[in-house]
Amino acid sequence: MSLWLLVDPHLWQQTLVYAAPLIIAALGELIIERSGVLNIGIEGMMLVAAVTCFVVTWQTRSAAAGIVAGMGAAAILTLLLVYYAVALGGPQITVGLGLYVLGVGLSSLLFRVVFGVRTSPPSVQTLAPVPLPGLADLPVVGHVFFHQTLLTYLAFLLVPLVHLALFRTPWGLRLRATGENPRSVDALGISVERLRYGAAAVGGLLIGLGGAYLPIVLTGTFSDNMTAGRGWLALMLVIFGRWMPFTALGGALLFAYVEAFQFKAGIVEKAVPVQFLLMLPYLFALVVLVRIYRGARAPQALAVPYDREARG
Amino acid sequence: MSAESRPAVAEAVVVPVRSGGRSRVTTAVLTYVVAVALAAAVSALFILAMRGDVALAFRTILSSSLGSVAGIAQTLNKISPLLLGSMAVMLARQGGFFNIGVDGQMYAGAIVATGLAFAVGGALPLVLMLPLALLAGFAGGAALGAVPGALRARWGVNEIFVTVMLNFIAYYLTEWVATGPWNDPITGEAITRVLPESATLPMLLPAAGAHAGVLIALVMSAAVAVLLGRTLLGYEIRTVGDNPRAATLGGVRLGRITLVTLALSGALAGLAGAIEVVGYHNRLILGLTPGYGAMAILIAVLGRMHPIGVAVASALVAVLMVGADSLQRSVKLPASAGAVFQAIVVLCVLLVEARAARRARG
Repeated sequence: MSLWLLVDPHLWQQTLVYAAPLIIAALGELIIERSGVLNIGIEGMMLVAAVTCFVVTWQTRSAAAGIVAGMGAAAILTLLLVYYAVALGGPQITVGLGLYVLGVGLSSLLFRVVFGVRTSPPSVQTLAPVPLPGLADLPVVGHVFFHQTLLTYLAFLLVPLVHLALFRTPWGLRLRATGENPRSVDALGISVERLRYGAAAVGGLLIGLGGAYLPIVLTGTFSDNMTAGRGWLALMLVIFGRWMPFTALGGALLFAYVEAFQFKAGIVEKAVPVQFLLMLPYLFALVVLVRIYRGARAPQALAVPYDREARG
Repeated sequence: MSAESRPAVAEAVVVPVRSGGRSRVTTAVLTYVVAVALAAAVSALFILAMRGDVALAFRTILSSSLGSVAGIAQTLNKISPLLLGSMAVMLARQGGFFNIGVDGQMYAGAIVATGLAFAVGGALPLVLMLPLALLAGFAGGAALGAVPGALRARWGVNEIFVTVMLNFIAYYLTEWVATGPWNDPITGEAITRVLPESATLPMLLPAAGAHAGVLIALVMSAAVAVLLGRTLLGYEIRTVGDNPRAATLGGVRLGRITLVTLALSGALAGLAGAIEVVGYHNRLILGLTPGYGAMAILIAVLGRMHPIGVAVASALVAVLMVGADSLQRSVKLPASAGAVFQAIVVLCVLLVEARAARRARG
């Protein structure tokens, strides 16, 4: 295997393709966690979004309708989590795990309810790359950055947008304060509940977009557990990124590079069993995990239910 | 992440508390009745959506899992991985940890047990080989469980992520051994050759096909209950789960307990994997666990992290899983419907409990 593979422009182009769903979902989770709610069921939510997007696209022949439906489906689940967490003060990790298992089962069930058991899986048209006029013709850079689908461009556009929303708007300030010290927000007469529901809705839509990306850009079809741990990776990226959008993007690119490399190496390299290449992203995640906890500081009120009447 | 409050073991014991006259046990039973009714209603909607016969579906679940000796045998065989898996989740939870890696640990135990059986199984008699294979499963699971334990103890890495990542790694490792070195070329699938006869678990109901795994699972569960309730180690594990700071101040070595708890938890799951190999399939197959790990989490929650509750919940879920398998044939409902039903029950229980807790707070 030639080392040139590591710097192959096509590998970089694929890195961006695989980074997009990770960063979109991580941004969604980041917004929810910044509000003080821990959503651990993201893997299941992405799966539900993926199947919803696929089914709706297949029936309406409209990718846009599918994407919107997938986003909505995930948002329903995040709102459900926040109902438990905020309105009832329930145990967030347990409820999150329940929603994760529900998502895994529900996505598989929905697919079979609609399509039955088939030997050849149905498929939809994936989004075509849209070369950006002018930029796409640049040498190397044009191919890597500007031959992507609209959703991929959107993913990278979302990073500065979420950053601005969190750090340059009153809403973002209140949201972050809710995650650090909800009592102070409450004292200003702002509803902690409403902020957390709002964060869950926005975050859920983004998590759903990350899930919808998988069938509509990557595969064109749905298969059980097709997220393959991307939800858990997104959850990790939030910690990796220290709850900051741009740092999370760095992590997403790193993981996506390993993932893209593994796919590409699987085509070129025949001596190493493919299973060991498929393991690479997860082994890499384990190595990274050891590092990311050093000095990580979560929002102070993360996963702590807010009780107005408790004595602070 | 450890900020979540955990119900103490004692809470699950029957203590009448409400002034309104309803004892806690009545409340708990009502909770479960309401939750199951809600989940049944949702499932009925699903069956209707598929134009299935609701009454027939529910009758099929019961008759296929409990209505015949063969059905009961199937149910007993399902109890063994579910009970050991949920005990693994429960044990970890008592120490304040979330073990999401039961699937991976089952595969690890199964791989080590299979490897040992292929290596020495032909030369050893059953009385020696079988305990060795089970022990190998135990050790394999413990090894995989020790990884999150060590990472958490040493660097404070959250065990949820580590166990999830190890699930994928163990899965691909199984795929490799089952398609590569140990592959049975006749089947053309990710299945290993048949194990030597000395590595075969005896049958409990030979004619119906129930193996003795459920007995091992019951004995191990009793052992876990004794460990947690009656030994110093168990006391230390529960102290760490309740309040790690207080435990440290009281002289408990936090890192050691973290490692031991997660390794033991993994060992239970690894044993379950070995039992599936030597008892049910007589070889290692890639689909060894159809998501037992996720089921185990839900069972542990349903059983309120209490050994008896977990045992009862495992039996009920085994009935549900066998029933769901047969629904696939009669009502054409996929087996994942079982997981959905169970997840809905759990979410309903959590909902009713959280609402009750909220009312109790005023």
